Formats: sequence, C-alpha cells, structure tokens
Amino acid sequence: MNRRTVIKNLALVIGGAALLPSCMKNNGGLSIHFKHLNISADQENLIGDICETIIPKTNTPGAKDLNLHLFVLKMLDDCYKKKDQQAFMVGLNQFNDMVKKKYNNSFSDLSVKEREDVLTALDKSSKSAADPSKSIKPVRDSQKSLDVAKKKPDVPPLNFFYGAIKQQTIFGYTNSKYFMTKQIVYELVPGRYNAHFPVKNLKTV
Amino acid sequence: MSANTYDAIVIGSGISGGWAAKELTEKGLKTIMLERGRNIEHIKDYVNANKAPWEFPHRGGRTQKMIEDYPVLKRDYPLNETNLDYWASDKDSPYVEVKRFDWFRGYHVGGRSLMWGRQSYRWADFNFEENLKDGIGVDWPIRYKDLEPWYAYAEKFAGISGNKDGLSVLPDGDFMPPMEMNCVEKDVAARFKEHYKEARSFIIGRTANITVPHNNRTNCQYRNKCWLGCPFGAYFSTQSATLPAAMATGNLTLRPWSIVTRILYDKDTKKAKGVEVLDAETNKTYEYYAKVIFVNASTFNSAWILMNSATDIWPGGLGSSSGELGHNVMDHHLGVGASGTVEGFEDKYYFGRRANGIYIPRYRNMGGEKRDYIRGFGYQGGGGREGWSRDIAEMNVGGAFKDALTEPGTWTMGVGGFGETLPYHENKITLDKTKKDKWGLPVLAFDAEIKDNEKKMRIDMENDAKEMLEAAGVKNVRTHSGNPYLGRGIHEMGTARMGRDPKTSVLNGWNQVWDAKNVFVTDGAAMTSAACQNPSLTYMALTARAANYAVEELKKGNV
Repeated sequence: MNRRTVIKNLALVIGGAALLPSCMKNNGGLSIHFKHLNISADQENLIGDICETIIPKTNTPGAKDLNLHLFVLKMLDDCYKKKDQQAFMVGLNQFNDMVKKKYNNSFSDLSVKEREDVLTALDKSSKSAADPSKSIKPVRDSQKSLDVAKKKPDVPPLNFFYGAIKQQTIFGYTNSKYFMTKQIVYELVPGRYNAHFPVKNLKTV
Repeated sequence: MSANTYDAIVIGSGISGGWAAKELTEKGLKTIMLERGRNIEHIKDYVNANKAPWEFPHRGGRTQKMIEDYPVLKRDYPLNETNLDYWASDKDSPYVEVKRFDWFRGYHVGGRSLMWGRQSYRWADFNFEENLKDGIGVDWPIRYKDLEPWYAYAEKFAGISGNKDGLSVLPDGDFMPPMEMNCVEKDVAARFKEHYKEARSFIIGRTANITVPHNNRTNCQYRNKCWLGCPFGAYFSTQSATLPAAMATGNLTLRPWSIVTRILYDKDTKKAKGVEVLDAETNKTYEYYAKVIFVNASTFNSAWILMNSATDIWPGGLGSSSGELGHNVMDHHLGVGASGTVEGFEDKYYFGRRANGIYIPRYRNMGGEKRDYIRGFGYQGGGGREGWSRDIAEMNVGGAFKDALTEPGTWTMGVGGFGETLPYHENKITLDKTKKDKWGLPVLAFDAEIKDNEKKMRIDMENDAKEMLEAAGVKNVRTHSGNPYLGRGIHEMGTARMGRDPKTSVLNGWNQVWDAKNVFVTDGAAMTSAACQNPSLTYMALTARAANYAVEELKKGNV
C-alpha cells in the first residue's frame, strides 16, 4: 500500500481527520490545499517526520496514521498570524540547514535515535527561549478554548517552528477521535459527577 | 384590538426579557416579545451541542479569519469556533470606544441566557444599604426584604443548585441539591475553614443548572457545554425555561428580527403608547402598541432605546430628565487571581465535567473592617487536574512520551476575583450620531473606566488570593493581574438606575421610568450599585417583582 492508501484506510477506520476530502485531490504532491501557506511536498513530509518522531507509531497509531501533520498544517494555515507563518517558514529552513550541517543528511534520512536527538536538543534550547508549547492549557476541562494565536514574539524562528509543530501535534493527538475513544474515553454525556474517581479506572471508563 | 396592539410589549428576549414575558403572559396579558436578532429554537438549533471535540476543524480554537471578523470579541474567551453564531457581529453592530470597553453581545432569541456563566447569588441586605452608608451614587429605593420573596420565586422556577451555607454575607436561597466539590476542593475547603473560621468561606458555586428533573427539564448531565445550548434543558435559559412557560399560556407572540428603535411617547397622557420597530431583515418600519412596555434589551441597549425616544420632549431621551440616563456604567472588574498546585491526590480523579466551581463570598470591609478602599470582591475558582495536552517534564518525544500523555497531570487550584465597581456619574455611554450600524442607526460611545477605588481593591484581590491558597496548602502559588478593562465581566450594569428621587434617578423603586410610568426597565440598566455577586438572579427577581406590580397597577387603572 502506498502512503495515500494507508492514510485513506486509516482515516476511514479511525476517522482521525476532517481534512480528508481535500486530501484526495492531486495537489502537486501535497495532501491538503492551503489558503496562506506556501508549503512544498518535501516540506510537508519533513513536518510529517517531525510529528511522527514526537508521536511515533508503536503498538498504537502514530502521528502519520492519525494525519496529525495535516492537522498541524491546517492550524498553522488558519490560526497563525502572517508573521508567525513567516517565522515558521524561516525556522523550517533553519531546521533543514541545522540538520544538514550536523549530520550531513536530511532529517528524513536520519535514524529514529538521531531524529529524537535533534528534537530533544531543540526542546532543551526552547526551554530557555519561551517555548510556545509551554503555553498549552488543558482544554478539555475548561470552556476557554486554546488560544492558538497567542505566541511569544521573541522566540527564535527555529524554536518557534518546532514549538508550533509540537504544540499542535500534542493538541491534535490528545483531541483526536482515536485518543478520545481508544485511550482516554471522552463521554459526550457523562450523566453524573463522581468527585472521587480513582485514576486507575480512568482508562476503563 | 388591532393586529399591532397588545397588552404588553417586552423588548428583548434574554434572561430578564424572558422573565418579563413569562410573568406578564401568565397573568393574562397578551404580550409580544420583540427580539432584534434571529430565532434560536430550543434543542433544534443548538447545532454544536452534540459534537465531539474532534469534530471541530480547529478543535474549538480561533482562526485568523474569526479574529479579523470579531475585533472586540477576540479580546477574551468568547471568541471560539464552538458557538461563534451566538455572538453579535462586531462589524454589523460597531460602537465607539472613547475608552476601551469590551462589549460582548448576544443578538438572538434567548440573548446571553444561552451563553451565561449561570452563577446565581442573592444580594444581602448590606449590599442595598452601602450606597447610602458610603455616600456613593444614590440610595437603592429597595432593600433585601423587598426582593427576598422574589428571589425565592425566581430560584424556584429557574432551578438553582446550591448548598445552604447559612452565611449572612450571601443569603441562602430556595436551592436544588448542590453539586459536589472534588477531593482537592474538599481538602482546600477544610483547611480554609480551619484557618479562617467564620471570617471567610469557601463554598460550592450556586449555579442555574438543575440537579434534579424540573418542569420537563432533565437534570444536569455534567457535559460542561452550557455555552452551546443544552439539549437536556439543564441550565436556565429563555429557551429552556421562561419561553416555554410563556408560550404555554397562549398569550405570547415572539417576533425575531425586530430592532426597537424608539418608544413612542404620548405627551398628553405622559405615557408610552408603543414602540417603533425596524425589521432587521426587510428594513421596513412597524409600530406596535401596548399598555405596558418592559425594556429588557440588555443594559446598554435598553439605555440606547430610551436615549432615542421622546427626544422632542427631552433632547437626551426618555428618562433623561434626571441627567442620569446613560451614566453610572458598571461592570465587575476581574482578571486578578492566583493559582497553584496541590499534592497528595495523585491517585484521585473525577468523572464527569462539572459546569460549576467554588465560590469565596466577600469578606473585605465587613464587620467594621476598613481598607483603603470601599466595598469588596468575591472569588470564583476550582480545582482540577491538568489535561492531556500538557507539557511533561523530562520527556519530550517518542513512544514513552506518547504513553505519558494518557496519564493525568498535576492537580491545580485557582481562584479569580470579581470586584465591585462603584457607580461613577462620569462613567457613561452616549449616542454617537456620526457613526451608524448596519441598519443606519446611531451607535453608542463608551467612556468608562475603573478608578482609584477599584485599583486599590485589585491589590487586595491579588494578594489575598495568594494568601488564601497558601493558607489552604496550595503550593507554587502564582498570582496574575491584568486586563482591567470594563466590559469583560459581561456584567454590565447602570445607565438607567433605580432611585428614590426623579431628580437623581431614571427609575423608581418598581423599575418604572419616572417620566413614563408604563415603561419598566428591569435588566442590568436598573442597577443602582453593582455589589460583587453575579447579577442575573437579581435581574430575574427585579423583573418578576416589577411585572407583578405592573399588572396590579394595570388592574387599578394606574398605568
């Protein structure tokens, strides 16, 4: 099965994305149509590989299975300011240069361990640079929706690029149908409030 | 009776308008309720109420397009993709900000009763007395005892869940069983009591979510989606409660898309004879006539209608003879609080999403205490566990990280203050005739801000929040204070205040416009002071009381 078919089938099974109709279009190798972003198929693949490194396929689906990279791009396209989109693209190029310089290879050609090392190093440098992924608020417990537009302006583009991907990957993962029906079951109608619910019962709701 | 003639006209269909319609129709008056926006039918039109989180394209977030389209709404939490249709268009209905004022509006049947916070607290007697005692504004023409039976009446019908805490600062009501605190909140409550004894209280929120079935409404299902409209009718709204009751009488006509542009004043009888309506869809003008008119268009729009009315007699509009119409703008100032983490409950969680929190009633400037400001504040807050989308220390990517995302995060506890704003004459709204809305109508200009008293209060609000949380065992407490702009409390009050003297107030003690006795204003515009409690329950009680009086006076031939 090629990648498209895999995604299509998984999405049919998992229903992970509302993005599918446009996914199927022949769009210069891109999976979705963007209103503002100018992303190439290679760049989409890079983002997919980063997402997959954050949330890898294990005995449960990974980021690509769940189309999280497409969710990241949709959020970036619709919800980020133009200057943040520009910073993202600058950061994307810096990311490629950085990896090339260090490994003399592209991210997609690195081993999983090397990919994790790259991202871990970025996470560490982001911690001191006001990482936007730190501003994540729990959204499932609160009426206040995630303010995806709130970004620290002084984050270096490379950190912004990775921080945005990580934030939206985690947000997309934990708010995916897969996660909310197979990992932590989301009850549309809980019907009651149990104020003393043991954590150990959480996954067997 | 001609086709456009009714016994009563109710302008607006939100919390107070719905109550006015219910009371007037139940007392036998043929009533038309005029709503400026579209109809939203109970359940049928709650289009997002049964969607799962992943069914929203941006998972509930906001897009740049939304931010462009809603330059005011974007300033705070209301702008989100789950209930965007419930908020008035900032572009169709602009306003002028001499000073920043965050005005979040709901222009549709039900108004903000569909999106309100539902916290429902009675005022205590001292809240009605403080203006007199402090020499601020004017004295309320009523006291707690005047409103007490109407509070009970409103609570019984609306369905307020709460605990009878026996506090003099916050009188108990006619409650349904309270919602439960979670384990961390209970722990904090116990430590709080140990530390503060009777001086301060930490109680479960009193909320207009029913906890037992009531009037064909299903009890709360703990979905915490109350701002989408409830398919179970579990929270009080016009649609779930007052509108069906009014409709059941057979006396109500509901007319959406009806912008009331002015009240028609008859200078011979010194009464209003009806209203002029601009159809928001067709732009055609109509007149409706009635013996009594209830103005419930929401605080500032009620003042707007009065300002536009009877201008041939009073250039400032109907009710302006006192010079107070449009003045004394109030809200609750907020954006100040603290939060921290709680240890020792790692094996505990909760099931269900409780659409309610805890409440700390006012304790400042009570019992003889004198701070460097007057009045006080209460806090709303709650305890909970951080969700799945959190940052995880020492783990950043990979399979183990993925697995860790299924473990609940740290317990946190936080509170945010709601401070009383004083009625300042210079805090005002005026008509700006140079700027027009989509329908060619003049818009409001806002010139209001918090002043020294509120600014000093905010220092206490911040420091006390930290002190109380720490006293209750909360760790890593951090305070926040910011965004002190009026409006974002969405508790607009004042602009047509009640009083004892027609020279200094717009309304009398029965919410009647001094200058036109058959016109009643019973929404937030009527408020003489703001207290610090969430105000809607008081509007319900004022409206039911005024409607009862209006019908009695009608029968006696006095209006």
